[in-house]
Amino acid sequence: MKLNKRILKSIRTLPPFPVTIQKVMALAGDPDSSLTELAAVIRLDQAITANILRICNSAYFGLRRPVDNVGDAIMHMGKKNVLRAVMAAGLSRYFRTAKGYDVKGGDLWEHAVAVALMSQICAARLSVPDDPRLFTAGVLHDIGKMVMGEFVEEAWQKIRELTEEKKYSFLEAEEEVIGVNHAVLGGEIALIWKFPDEILKAIAFHHRPDLLTDGDLVPWIVYLSNQVCHVMGIGVGTDALAYRAVGDVAGRFQFKQRDLEDMMARLHRSMQEAREMVSIVSGPGGNGRG
Amino acid sequence: MAEHVIGISDLKVTNNPADSMVTYALGSCIAVAVYDPEAKVGGLLHYMLPDSTLDAVKAKDTPAMFADTGIPLLFKSCYKLGADKKRMVVKVAGGASILDESNFFRIGQKNIMAMRKLFWNNNVLIDAEDTGKNFNRTVKLDLATGKVWVKRAGGPMEEL
Repeated sequence: MKLNKRILKSIRTLPPFPVTIQKVMALAGDPDSSLTELAAVIRLDQAITANILRICNSAYFGLRRPVDNVGDAIMHMGKKNVLRAVMAAGLSRYFRTAKGYDVKGGDLWEHAVAVALMSQICAARLSVPDDPRLFTAGVLHDIGKMVMGEFVEEAWQKIRELTEEKKYSFLEAEEEVIGVNHAVLGGEIALIWKFPDEILKAIAFHHRPDLLTDGDLVPWIVYLSNQVCHVMGIGVGTDALAYRAVGDVAGRFQFKQRDLEDMMARLHRSMQEAREMVSIVSGPGGNGRG
Repeated sequence: MAEHVIGISDLKVTNNPADSMVTYALGSCIAVAVYDPEAKVGGLLHYMLPDSTLDAVKAKDTPAMFADTGIPLLFKSCYKLGADKKRMVVKVAGGASILDESNFFRIGQKNIMAMRKLFWNNNVLIDAEDTGKNFNRTVKLDLATGKVWVKRAGGPMEEL
């Protein structure tokens, strides 16, 4: 893909993906790794540790008694949940603001968490095995906005003309005016961060899963979860509803209207339980919106 | 002056003229703002789904989640503060949808229908509305004046 030089430069100056999360991802995926090893890696990163303990003690994970150290947290929550907490604790730093999309501090992170939680709800509804890639892809789906924001802000007038007067979707307007959309740009970031291919694809195609042919469900689940969060207005900006529905996602999943409504009601509950996860990025966000 | 933020599946009523209530970034959800100019009582509801038969437990815990439990609760809460149904001014906004929606994402339309049916059956007239289309909306009710303001994403605050 040909990116203009300024965008390429912006991508290259992004901070490297946190080493702690890389190691935790590798250990959590390795059946032979021990809980002690996992705890040792996490403890080395003090900033992440503090946030993990807050997140672990949220109602979302339902621990009977609060934990005050990483070892206990892992023992009570299991590897998969620890991975989720580490993701949330370590990645929130990238979602403080995205200018151009007119989102307030904290809103973009609230949206990232909502999509990750909705992906879990959707997978459970589909009886898809609990796949840790879903949470990661859900949290990171809009990572491209971190770099795009600056360019969207500059080109705001043109983008607005296209979406308001020419019925472009926001994605189409980004492509026309800037030359790339935020999803594809997110895929480029995932490439630099050396993410597994499935997560890269789920990020790069989160608005267009219909362009993929390999039949992996993860991009479709992230797509659907994101659409629902946009429709509900959770942590979204001016681009909120300017996206197209693609493909027959309801037919593909054999969902009825009722299923969707039930998932929305569940998300509302999950977001309340996961308040600590949302609030690690400060800002006026944190209220569910719809 | 206190500005109360009404979250999703939430409602508030008040008779304090110094108050205002606001709800942000409505998508498919609907905001119902009611005001009795004589009793100076107003309320704002932000509901998410059309029909409480979806989940009886949630309907009991969070009645403001659904049109058919939230709207009656909004009116009853206003009556408790002295409002009278005959005097109440009713304004609504929201119920939007994304572009090219497949039949799957018609939740905004269903929310609008549920509200209309309920108002029709109870002889309530809607005084002003800004619903449907594909705009996010922020809605504000000012208790001092009873005025309702709507801001479409990217646009100015305008009186409804």
